[in-house]
Amino acid sequence: MSEAQMNENKQGKLEKPESEIKQMWSALIQNKAAVVGMVIIGFLIFIALFGKWLMPYDPNYADLSVNKQPPSVAHWFGTDEQGRDIFSRVIDGTRVSLVVGLTAVSFALCIGTVLGAIAGYKGGKIDTFIMRLMDIMMSIPNILLAITFMAALGRGIDKAVIAIGLVTTPEYARIVRGSIMAIKDSEYVQAAKVIGNSDTKIIFKHILPNVLSPIIVRATLGISTAVLETAALGFLGLGVQPPYAEWGDMLGRARVFIFEAPYMLIFPGIAITLTVMAFNLLGDGLRDAFDPKARS
Amino acid sequence: MKKKLALVVAPLLALTMLVGCGGNKATTQKGDSTNQAQSADTATAQTGSDVLVFGQGSEPRGLDPAFVDDGESSKVIVNIYEGLLAYAKDSTELEPCLAESWEVSEDGLSYTFKLREGVKFHDGTDFNAEAVKINIDRQLPPLRQEDMPYASFVFADVKDVEVVDTYSVKINLTKKNTAFLANLAMSLAAPIVSPAALEASGGNVNESPVGTGPYKFVEWNPSEDIVLTRNDEYWREPAKTKNIVFKFIPDNSARIVALKNGDVDMIDGIDSTGVAQIEADGNKLYNVAGMNINYMAYNTTRAPFDNVAVRTALTKAINVPELVKALYGDYAELATSILPSFMPGFSEEIKQIAYDAEAAKSELAAAGFNQPIKMIVYNNPRPYNARNKALAESIQSYWSKVGVEVVIEDYDWTTYKDKVIAGDYDVCFYGWIGDNGDPDNFLNLLCDQNAAMNVARLNDETLKEMITEGTSTEKGPERDALYTKAEQYIAELGVWVPISHANSLSAYSPAVQNYSYHPTGNIFFREMYK
Repeated sequence: MSEAQMNENKQGKLEKPESEIKQMWSALIQNKAAVVGMVIIGFLIFIALFGKWLMPYDPNYADLSVNKQPPSVAHWFGTDEQGRDIFSRVIDGTRVSLVVGLTAVSFALCIGTVLGAIAGYKGGKIDTFIMRLMDIMMSIPNILLAITFMAALGRGIDKAVIAIGLVTTPEYARIVRGSIMAIKDSEYVQAAKVIGNSDTKIIFKHILPNVLSPIIVRATLGISTAVLETAALGFLGLGVQPPYAEWGDMLGRARVFIFEAPYMLIFPGIAITLTVMAFNLLGDGLRDAFDPKARS
Repeated sequence: MKKKLALVVAPLLALTMLVGCGGNKATTQKGDSTNQAQSADTATAQTGSDVLVFGQGSEPRGLDPAFVDDGESSKVIVNIYEGLLAYAKDSTELEPCLAESWEVSEDGLSYTFKLREGVKFHDGTDFNAEAVKINIDRQLPPLRQEDMPYASFVFADVKDVEVVDTYSVKINLTKKNTAFLANLAMSLAAPIVSPAALEASGGNVNESPVGTGPYKFVEWNPSEDIVLTRNDEYWREPAKTKNIVFKFIPDNSARIVALKNGDVDMIDGIDSTGVAQIEADGNKLYNVAGMNINYMAYNTTRAPFDNVAVRTALTKAINVPELVKALYGDYAELATSILPSFMPGFSEEIKQIAYDAEAAKSELAAAGFNQPIKMIVYNNPRPYNARNKALAESIQSYWSKVGVEVVIEDYDWTTYKDKVIAGDYDVCFYGWIGDNGDPDNFLNLLCDQNAAMNVARLNDETLKEMITEGTSTEKGPERDALYTKAEQYIAELGVWVPISHANSLSAYSPAVQNYSYHPTGNIFFREMYK
């Protein structure tokens, strides 16, 4: 029986300290900006999940006889050059953007965490090798590297996920490595070693949970970057296969109509801005909430 | 005391700032002029009326008239080189150029040209009969190379070239060819290149062009621009403007903005979406019916597109009139035939495959058509089709309505041409800008052995006979009727889907004088200035 438990038994009722998660949550919901972000994200997820039933038209159905119509009752956001309903396409594009954003970040997070953990924990030559590789990747601007990957892999949304995931991997690897280096010499890790835990168990069971918060913050902010990069690839014509809808792709093909039919650009533009802003707000809120010093 | 000090210091500070600003300005100017000096030996180029800048959508493939076949190259070439004959300013009427006069033998098989004396190439070489012979010989077998796309067209029936004396040359044909003189005025294959330059460059002057024209080549900055400068020893009155810059701006709206900002003086490759903006910016639009055809072609060497029933059924699913109206508005005419309406051989009687989606569905089912279509398209605007990819996507959606899946691959123009030559496609998009105003120039495309010309890869003996008959018949109604018949035959084969004839749209700043844009899609700068 541990000392703490003995104390508790003796005194009968010991006030249980408020859990870390609870404290974070209350800090988070006090942050108005973060709440706005969460509401928007909730809304976007709802649209992504149930968009199919919300769309008034088939987003890929073209009717050239009604092309380039300004917003009206029949077409809330107007129609594009091919006569497709922009409202339906913006809704359909939500799913693509969120899916790419989330999967690309998960992809980068998994690889980055493993690489960063190995580098940080093992140190030495392995560390140098992995981190220099990451440095090389980071020295090339993300979007350029993503375009290079897309050029090699070919066009398509699945490839965009891989490209964006790969180029953002170094960021996670760095954060995880830094956090692990800071913690790996602490006493409880030494203790875990002495007991005879395997390296894998030490890294994933004992160290990682303790360095989770910076990773979560980075990942949330990373989603907004990934959404933006997806849009950039789409804008450059490397995103989805036609006729499928993706916000950046919609922007890209509408840009020639910027003078003639600006509504073609405005709505996908707003959608991208809202999504990026929402994840940024939430990410900022999370960073503050995770930081005990920032909590009042 | 402090106040006094402040009174002294404040003006001093202000002065320092002024000097600082002035200094900056001076440095910038200096920087600019160094750039200019570096960029072309045209130190005076960027100032005032010494330079005209033309913004075009794509980079030329090369500047050797024998090795290129695209309009972007041609626009540059016509200002550097000349041919034996030339076209009139606004039509395809023939005029003498490097040849002062010519005689045709009675059997129509020999042409004797009297050449202009005293003409020199930019490198100082004399222009004479030998130069003409070298230029034509290099494009005839056995010297003709695979990548001379126009050689087999322009010099199709040339047997040999004889040097009669220094300034007379005789060209013998194997058979009568009514379009031969018109071909010699063309901007591709026909222009005469300096023999010395050809020898120095190993037979290909794509990157070091030397001709007799009003402008000399200065430099080519890849993906950026081509700079030309005036040929002061030109045999006619030298050009009015000293330097010409061809700037490559792939994006349609970026080109319009460049014109607005004064970065360029003229642009082409405009589509209907930009017209309002050009006019609002106070620039001028040059809008004339274009001698061109914008079309889609089936690859007739690949099953099942070698089957006329499949092609016809697929074409029936496309509502071409609706598509042309939606994509091109008032700036293109629906193509009811391959030949534009003002050309000899055009007839309203020609019937294309009409839109009928229901029939398309049942005929496709009957033909057992059940496979995705691989479609390739260029993603640069072309003079005959400024809505490049949008056209492909419209057809994709028409076909999806009859249950046919389409995979679109798009490439920049230069890559696209290689893909077309490689031939891995079911359907591709292309266009043609007439070179010489002769119907043979359009319809012969479908008989050409070169895959870069005949993108449907058609090899039809009946059609070949029809076209041959056309070339050996004298100009007149009888010949026109032959081409009308050939057109109808092509329409029934269903190898092409003629889409539109783009109006020839270009725009220029009101400061530019004597602006004109030739029906062949070329622009001659000699008389323009601002």
